[in-house]
Amino acid sequence: MRFQLMRSARWPGALLFLVGLLLSGCATTPPLSEGTRSAIPARQLVDEVPFQGQRDYQCGPATLAMVLEHGGRTASVDELIPQVFLPGREGSVQPEMLATVRRHGLIPFVIPGRVDAVLQEVAADRPVVVLQNLSLPWWPMWHYALVIGYDLDDEGLVLHSGETPRMAVSIGRFDTTWARSNRWAFVALPPGELPASGVNRETAEAISAFESVQGAQTSLPAWQALAGREPKLALVQFGLGNALAATGKAREAARAFRRAVEVDPEFAAAWLNLGLMLRSLERMGEANDALNRAAEIPGPLQERAQRRLEAR
Amino acid sequence: MKKVARIVTPFVIASFTMGSVSAMAAPSAVVDGLVTTQEALNADQVSADRARVMELLSRDEVRDQLVAQGVDPAQVEERVAALSDQEVREMNARLDQMPAGANAVVGALFTVFIVLLVTDLLGLTNVFPFTR
Repeated sequence: MRFQLMRSARWPGALLFLVGLLLSGCATTPPLSEGTRSAIPARQLVDEVPFQGQRDYQCGPATLAMVLEHGGRTASVDELIPQVFLPGREGSVQPEMLATVRRHGLIPFVIPGRVDAVLQEVAADRPVVVLQNLSLPWWPMWHYALVIGYDLDDEGLVLHSGETPRMAVSIGRFDTTWARSNRWAFVALPPGELPASGVNRETAEAISAFESVQGAQTSLPAWQALAGREPKLALVQFGLGNALAATGKAREAARAFRRAVEVDPEFAAAWLNLGLMLRSLERMGEANDALNRAAEIPGPLQERAQRRLEAR
Repeated sequence: MKKVARIVTPFVIASFTMGSVSAMAAPSAVVDGLVTTQEALNADQVSADRARVMELLSRDEVRDQLVAQGVDPAQVEERVAALSDQEVREMNARLDQMPAGANAVVGALFTVFIVLLVTDLLGLTNVFPFTR
């Protein structure tokens, strides 16, 4: 084998060509804004993330066990394997990683795909789950790991990864492997805590997905926290209103739906829910005004609002 | 499978309507008929009821796919239940192409080994621990 290789003059050339191709394709400096650099401590190591070593193919369950334990939810790797591992793929897929976090009572928030965002979370003492392709796109080696620290002075990250606790990796090398998963990362937080790297509509979607699994009572603190941070997102007020309604807080729920339509007067679902809440509070005049608004806005809810008005 | 859904959907819708079981509105038990947050997120769908029915069928398909991939049937129900509507749609559309994080040992063909070794040394990959 070796003899044949050496005889073939094409080999070194092909290899050089390939490497050149790769260099031109992937070698970019990792983006880390000066703003972030000055806003966070120069180095950070998230406290108390006990390492869980992976066995064959089990980086998904092992990574989940670590991030859950940091969030105060204990689950062993053995318990997590049947919940997330996909035998046919010999690995774990992203949606099920998020779903498993939900089952254990933490909310998974996918964070923006920027090194900045990862560092902001770590600076706020949250470990970050990342999906990397450690190998090359044509020979993928997908891998989940947990970012638990960084050091800006030597441009390095610290990861619990595979069988290696506290593995040091340069930000540059990390970013090239991370970029191949479109820079997918998430934090897992107890209801009431929000990502340090920013909130948006997806944050509300994450809480809503959690609510479908764990119920309104458990999710209420998350909606309250998000409404406190982003009072001007109509969808957030709407979600808060539903969680309040489902936990029997009718007056507060009506107020949240009212805020939702104040932010977005074309939000038919919020008008409809406001009307129904006010009706349950026996404020009939206001209730009918709200239902009328819902019935005026074109869309799938128009008919539903109409029926409600007729069935007074 | 789409064809099956097209045939089955009207029956499922009919069965829901005739039975008038309000299982679909279960999350808002206190006041009847509230639009749920998940429904509002799916607001771009033509009809909320129809969307809900499609969602149920779609969850069935994901359940079948997971069992086909070797998931214990006793576990599959809870696994599917923990997915959001959007995740169910994604898994239905492209489970086969989804990256499955595993860190499998590379079945090291010699050429692949060399290329990955070089790219490792260049900091483009992170396969071999000894290159760090």
